[in-house]
Amino acid sequence: MSPRRPTAIKRPLVRRLILRIGVPLLIVYAAVIATNYVQSKKAAIARMTDYLVELTNHHAADLDARFREISQTPTIVAENIEAMRLLDEERLYDLMERRLTVDPDIFGMSAAFEPYVLDPKREKISPRVFRSEAGLKRADATDVGNYDTADWYLIPKLLKKAYWTEPYYSAGGGDVLMCTFSHPFLRNGEIAGIVSADISLTELEKTMRGIEVISGYTFIVGRSGTFIYHPNPDFVMRESMFSLAEILGRPDLRDVGKNMVRGRQGLLALKGLQGEEKIWMVYAPIPSCRWTFAAVIPEDKILAPVNAQMVRQILFMLAGLAGILIVIVWAASSITRPLRKLTAFAGRVSSGDLDHRIEGIRGKDEIQELAGVFNKMVGDLNQYIADFAAATKAKEAVESELRIARQIQESLLPRVFPAFPDRPEFDLYAKNHPAKEVAGDFYDFFFIDDDQLVLLIADVSGKGIPAALFMAVNRTLMKTVCLKGVGPAESLRQANEILSQDNDAFMFTTMFLAVYNVKTGDLTYANAGHNNPMVFTKDGNGRFLPSGGDIFLGVEPGFVYHELSDRLEPGELLVFYTDGVTEAKSPAQDFYGESRFVGFVADRIRKPLPEIWADLFAELNAFQEGREYDDITALFLKRSE
Amino acid sequence: MNFPQETMKRRAIRRTGGFILLLAVFITPALPAQTGKPVVLQVQWFPQAQFAGYLMAKEKGYFEAEGLDVEVRFSDEHTSSITEVAEGRADFCTAWISQTLTLKKPLVNICQVLQKSSLMLVAKVESGILKPEDMNGRTVAIWGGDFSIQARAFFNKFHIRANLVPQAYNIDGFLVGACDVASAMYYNEYNKIILSGIDQEELVPFFYSDYGLNFPEDGIYCTRETAEGKPELCRKMRKAIIAGWAYALKHREETLNVLMDYCGRYHVRTNRAHQKWMLHAILLALVYEVGENPAGWGVLRKEDFLRVAGELMNQGFIKNYPPYEEFYKE
Repeated sequence: MSPRRPTAIKRPLVRRLILRIGVPLLIVYAAVIATNYVQSKKAAIARMTDYLVELTNHHAADLDARFREISQTPTIVAENIEAMRLLDEERLYDLMERRLTVDPDIFGMSAAFEPYVLDPKREKISPRVFRSEAGLKRADATDVGNYDTADWYLIPKLLKKAYWTEPYYSAGGGDVLMCTFSHPFLRNGEIAGIVSADISLTELEKTMRGIEVISGYTFIVGRSGTFIYHPNPDFVMRESMFSLAEILGRPDLRDVGKNMVRGRQGLLALKGLQGEEKIWMVYAPIPSCRWTFAAVIPEDKILAPVNAQMVRQILFMLAGLAGILIVIVWAASSITRPLRKLTAFAGRVSSGDLDHRIEGIRGKDEIQELAGVFNKMVGDLNQYIADFAAATKAKEAVESELRIARQIQESLLPRVFPAFPDRPEFDLYAKNHPAKEVAGDFYDFFFIDDDQLVLLIADVSGKGIPAALFMAVNRTLMKTVCLKGVGPAESLRQANEILSQDNDAFMFTTMFLAVYNVKTGDLTYANAGHNNPMVFTKDGNGRFLPSGGDIFLGVEPGFVYHELSDRLEPGELLVFYTDGVTEAKSPAQDFYGESRFVGFVADRIRKPLPEIWADLFAELNAFQEGREYDDITALFLKRSE
Repeated sequence: MNFPQETMKRRAIRRTGGFILLLAVFITPALPAQTGKPVVLQVQWFPQAQFAGYLMAKEKGYFEAEGLDVEVRFSDEHTSSITEVAEGRADFCTAWISQTLTLKKPLVNICQVLQKSSLMLVAKVESGILKPEDMNGRTVAIWGGDFSIQARAFFNKFHIRANLVPQAYNIDGFLVGACDVASAMYYNEYNKIILSGIDQEELVPFFYSDYGLNFPEDGIYCTRETAEGKPELCRKMRKAIIAGWAYALKHREETLNVLMDYCGRYHVRTNRAHQKWMLHAILLALVYEVGENPAGWGVLRKEDFLRVAGELMNQGFIKNYPPYEEFYKE
C-alpha cells in the first residue's frame, strides 16, 4: 500500500469546517441583518410619517389661522358698511384706508356695490384703495370695469357668503400671485355689495420656502387641485393633481386630488410626481380657503440612513466572517498539518521505514496523543520485528536440528532393501513417511537367531521431537528386550515395565510385536493397543490377526500381555500398518478405513512390495488431497512360495 | 374663456413677439409676401390647441409653400381678433359667424374651419338636472354677448325659465356651487371641470349642437376688400390652413409638442393634459360631418349660416344680414 497523497483528499477538513461553521453563520448573520433591516425600515418610515403628519398639521393650522386673520378685515368693513345708515364714498375710502394702514398683508381693498344701491344715478360704484410705491392710493370709484362678472364679486354674491377666490396673477404689476377674500354686505336683507381684500401670496411663498422638510418638500394645492405652491415652478398655477394624473397616466393621483379638493386629510405612499420611485405624502386641509397643504418625502431619502446602516452591518458581517474564516483555516490547518504529517508517517511506516519517529507535533490534544501512540506503535513494531526475527532464527535453528534429528531417526530405522538379500524365504519392505520433520511412527526388524525375525511396528503418542526421542528410547529398548529371546508378550511386558517408570510426560506407544520363523512361517505375536495387522493369501483374501485386547505401552506398570500365534503360508503377505493409513481423512472427513485398505492391498497382491507401498502413499495422498495429518507407516512381509 | 388676469404681460409678450418678427422681416428680405409685409393672421386668444392647425401650417412651412409670409398673432381679453381685421391691423382672423355678422361691415368668411359648436351647458348629476327642462328655476350661468345667443335660443326652444346669472371666464363658480348650470366650451372649460376633480360621469353635458343649435365656430375671416381684391391670397391662406389642420389631425403628439412649446414661450399657464384634451376636442369639431378627408374641409354650409343669422335676427342682435354668397367666399 502506498501512502495517500494529500492532494487526493476529496473533502478536505477545512472545507467541511467552512461549510459547517461558516455557512450557517452566514445564514444567521444574513437573517439577523434582513430582520433588522425590515424593522429599521418600518421604524424609519413610521418616524418619518409621524413627523410629516405633525409638520403638515402644524403648517396647515398655521396657514389657516393666518387666512382667518386676514379675512377679518374685509369682514369688519362689510359689517361696518351694513351698520352705516348713511353711506358715502368718502367714508368708505376712509374706512378702507384705516384698515389698510393696520393690516399690511392686504394689498388693496374695494367695496363694490350692486347697481344703483349707493347712488341711484350711477350703476356701478366700487371705491378702491390700494398700496403703491407712493403709499395708499384711491382709485376712481366709477372707473371699475365689469366687476359684476368677476369671481370675487359674482361668486360670493351668488353664494351669499364670504369667499376666497382661487389665486391669480395680479393685473398691471408683475408676476405677483394674489387671491382675494370677499365678504358680502346686506341691505334690507338683500345683497348690496361685496367688500374685497386682495392679498399677495408672496408672503405665503416665502413662508413655504422657509418650511424645511428633512429630505422632502411641501406644496399647496388650491380648491381645484391646482398647485399654488410647489418647489417646481413649472407646476405653479399650471399643473394640478388632475392634470398630472392625466398626463402621467396615474389614476391614483386623481383619487388623491379628489380627496384633497374635498378637504380631507391623508397619509399615503405612492409613486412620485417627479419620477421618484416612491414617496410618502401627508396632506391636510386649510379650511378657511379650502386649500390643501401637503408634505412629501421620497422613500429613498427616508431609507438612506437605514440603507447606510445596513451597508455598515454587512461590512461588519463580512469582516467578522472573514475573521472567522481565518480562524477556521488556522484551526483546520493546526489539525490537518499534524494529520498530514501522521498520514505521511503512516505511509512510510507501511512501506517499511521504522527508523523514524514523528516530531514537531506540539500541544496536549488528541492529535499529539495520536502522534505519541504512532511513535509507540512504531517502537513496538520494531520490538516485535526484532522478537520475530529472533524467534525465526531460533525456529530455523530448531528446524535445522530437526532435520538432523530426522536424518538420525531415519538412520535408526532399517531402510536398505532388500534388507536380507541372502534370505530367499521371505521378502520384506517397510517405509515411514513422517507428517512432521520427525516421526512418531517407527518399525523395526532384526534376526534374533538364524530363523527368528523380530518384526515390530509402533506409534508413539504425540509428534515431533518428544515423540522421536521417545521412539528412539522405545526402539533401543525393544531391541534390547527382544534380543533376550523371551517372546513377544514378555518383551512387551518388560518394555512396558521400563517405559511406565517415571513417565511424567505420560507418553505411550502402541506397538505390534511379532517373531516370525522364516523357515516355518510361524508367527508369534503380542499387540500393545496397535492396529491389527492383516494377512493376505496369494489370491488376495485378507484377514486380520486377532488381538489379545492389550493396552499400549508406558501407562500401566505390571501389565501382562497376551501372546498369540499364527502362521504364514507360502505366498501369503503380512501387512503391518499404523493408524496414519486407516485413519487418513478426506476433506469431507471420511476415514480411509480398513475395508478400503484391504481392497487396495488385495488388488496389488502380486505387485512387488516397494510398488505396493508407493501406490499406497500415492493413494493416501490423493485421498487426503495433499494434506497430511499423521505419519504413514507400513511394513510388508511376504513368505516366499 | 381663459385666464382673464393676464393682460399686461400678454400684451408685452405680443409686442416683443411682434418686434422679433419685425426683426425677422429685416433679416430675411426675400420673402415673397405681396406687400413686402407679413400677412397677419389674428387668432382669438393666446396659444392653445384651438389654434393648432394655424400653428402647424406655420411650423411645417405650408404658408411658405404657398409663397406666403404669415404671422400668427395672438389675442387677449383686451384684443378682439375681428376688430384687428376690421381696423386693418391684421389681414385675417379667426372668428365666429355671429361675431362677424354683428359688425357694421361684416367680414367675409373664406374658410369655415370648425364645423361643430363646442359651446355647451353643463350640470352636475347630483343637482338632478338631467334634461333641459330640469333647468327650470335653477341658476344657470351664461357668458354674455355672442356667447349668450345659443343659450337664449335653447331656453326659448325648451320654454325654460331659469335664473340666468352672468359667468366669469372660468368655472370656479360652478365648482363651488354658485350656480347649478354653467356655460362651457367642450374643449376648454368642460375639461377644466374634469381637471378639478369632477369625473365625467358626475357631469351632465348639454351640447347646443345636439339641440338643433349647431353654430359652427372658428372660421377664417377677412375684409371684403381683401376677399375681393386678393382672391389668390385668400385661396392660398385657405389651402395652407387646411394643410396645417390636416397635419395636426395626423400628428397629434408632434402638434402637442409644438403647442406646448408656444405655451412655454408665451407663458401660458396651462398644462399638457389640458392641451391634449383641447386638441382632441377641436379635431372632433373639425371633422364633424365633413369627415377626415381635408378635401371636404373649410366649407361653410348655407344652412349653418342661415341658422346662425336667423337666430341673431330672432333675438334682435341684427336687423339684416348679407346673403350667404357674399358672406362666404371660397
